[in-house]
Amino acid sequence: MNKIMFNKHYTEIESDYFANSAEILKASGKYLLGIVAADERSINSKFSIRYFFGGTDGGGIEEYCVKTDESFRSISKICPSAKMYEREIYDLFGLLPEGHPDLRPLMLYPENWDSSVHPLRKDYNGVIHEMKKYGGYKFKEVLGEGIFNVLVGPVHAGIIEPGHFRFSLAGEPVLQLEIRHFWKHRGIEKLCEGKDFNEALGIISKISGDNSVNISISYLEAAESILNIEITERAKYIRVILAELERIWNYVRDVAWIFMDIGFALPAQNLFALQEELMRLNKNLSGHRFLFNSLTLGGVNFDMDSRKLKEIEDMVNKVENIIKDSEEFILSSSSVLDRLEFTGKINKKTAEELSLCGISARASELKRDTRAEFPYLIYGRLNLKPVILDGGDVFARTALRIKEIYLSKKIISDLSSNMPEGNIAVSCESKPEAFGYAVGNSETSRGNAFFYIMADDKGKIFRLKYIDPSFRIWPSIQYGVLGNIIADFPLINKSLNLSYAGNDM
Amino acid sequence: MFLKKLLFKNKTQDIAPESGEGSVLIKGDELKLLVDKVFGRSLFVRLVDSGSCNACETELAALSNPYYDLERFGIKFVASPKHADILMVTGCLTRNMLNPLLKTYENIPSPKFVITVGDCAETGGPFKDSYSVCGPVSKYLNAAVHVKGCPPEPKAVISAFLKLMDILKSGKQEKLPD
Repeated sequence: MNKIMFNKHYTEIESDYFANSAEILKASGKYLLGIVAADERSINSKFSIRYFFGGTDGGGIEEYCVKTDESFRSISKICPSAKMYEREIYDLFGLLPEGHPDLRPLMLYPENWDSSVHPLRKDYNGVIHEMKKYGGYKFKEVLGEGIFNVLVGPVHAGIIEPGHFRFSLAGEPVLQLEIRHFWKHRGIEKLCEGKDFNEALGIISKISGDNSVNISISYLEAAESILNIEITERAKYIRVILAELERIWNYVRDVAWIFMDIGFALPAQNLFALQEELMRLNKNLSGHRFLFNSLTLGGVNFDMDSRKLKEIEDMVNKVENIIKDSEEFILSSSSVLDRLEFTGKINKKTAEELSLCGISARASELKRDTRAEFPYLIYGRLNLKPVILDGGDVFARTALRIKEIYLSKKIISDLSSNMPEGNIAVSCESKPEAFGYAVGNSETSRGNAFFYIMADDKGKIFRLKYIDPSFRIWPSIQYGVLGNIIADFPLINKSLNLSYAGNDM
Repeated sequence: MFLKKLLFKNKTQDIAPESGEGSVLIKGDELKLLVDKVFGRSLFVRLVDSGSCNACETELAALSNPYYDLERFGIKFVASPKHADILMVTGCLTRNMLNPLLKTYENIPSPKFVITVGDCAETGGPFKDSYSVCGPVSKYLNAAVHVKGCPPEPKAVISAFLKLMDILKSGKQEKLPD
């Protein structure tokens, strides 16, 4: 059993003191996993703000809880990664982070929303204000002779999700990039409140479609530990195989886009064709090209017989061969290396300060892989060694993806040759403890997906918070592009390949 | 070496050896004939994601892979709405995306047609009751064709183009949107 015991590390603390603790935590090598606010006025007449810290020593997750009425001390100056969470809390709960350097609205655009609306407060009456301009949004400005701005989005060229990018340039190099996101804010957290755990899974699987399985696994880790459900060994194996399959098709597509963006259409299309084959395999296995509805509370929705396992085995072998060719090509072509190396460099220090996760962290020398840090399902038994590279540039991220395809292939091959017997799902009639809560973790193809779920006294969801890896990583791109030419931005963006849907929620 | 190997090894026909009723090629050939006729050999599409989970975008991007290769039938996704004939919309339409969507629509020269893609664009999907969703798209724009599915498979999107061509050819599109 690899469920992490959370209450073990639970500390309740005054907001004013927590700033000091955060400094100590950071000095001891811990990093901020996320901040979760909740309106618990119906339970203890306070709002709670929970800070989750992780460390690389395998010590699990530490939770610090601050109770407040209307404001709390900002820790953004100590942990820069807290900045976005605190802005989010200010927006959705109306709780003021004292001393925060930047309190511009994040998801509720002043162009559309009255600033008195805080939808995640339990007493929010659902009134939707008329659609009109209530205020403006002030972008950061770079002033000086010869400085000009390039504005891109929200509707981009090509088949991409919406986001607004503002480059300030002097000549070719980028002096500043400011990103404005949350165009696709769908209000998923509020939507899940009051739903039962099964209903919510349907919404959760559509947070970010290309990472549906891995995000659902994270949700199920939390939900099943609240409901005290222990799934069968066989279900765990199937979940891991599906998770790794999803990772492989994501990585294949990511590498293909890198080729596309440096003008190598042929190797790119080769990999796009491979992606299509992987998605057709998904369809053969589950009936859905994105493996939607494959997982269920208490197990999985379909079994894997030897024929299906053989199909998967053959496919991952094929992937390995094709990717090997691509790897060789990257390493042997100076025109590819010229575009990839030293482009979009994110320093280790920046990665640390922004609490990055996933590929972006591992390409910048940080040992962060949820599968090894906070093992779930059967990952703890696999003794995974996270692949770490030190370049921090587009090349490192591409090379890392390739290496991880081999790793995922190995995991799938190992598991499919010794699948345990048993049922694929257990019944789940148990009721959750009133106001019990749990967190769940998983490693998606982008990084750590984090869930916090609290049940109410009727067995429904009281508060659900999801932190997407993209939410953590997006700010880092603003540092990655500095000094690069604007023409390299699409490449840098693709090398991180973040989700807008997961970020905006 | 690797490029050479690719160039001579994999031809599109080898990768996508499909034939028979409903295959990409047969549908595509039919489509090409109609695109040639109705749109003078080029049909340009501008996509706006109004709040999807990105699965729809992944499938639309897949239309360019060697299995489907939509451009060989004369259909192209373009960067600017000013170049487009068709506005394709995915997603549940969030409040924040309403203005960009309408602005994009305004900037497409007439005659123009809307295709909505995916269940979210039709009904709002699982997100329809959210405070920050003001869709579905049909509240603001009339779609000539809707593609069902969550997300629709690439072949379904090709069929939707065929359907649109049929509607336009037969003049069944009663009122052209302004």
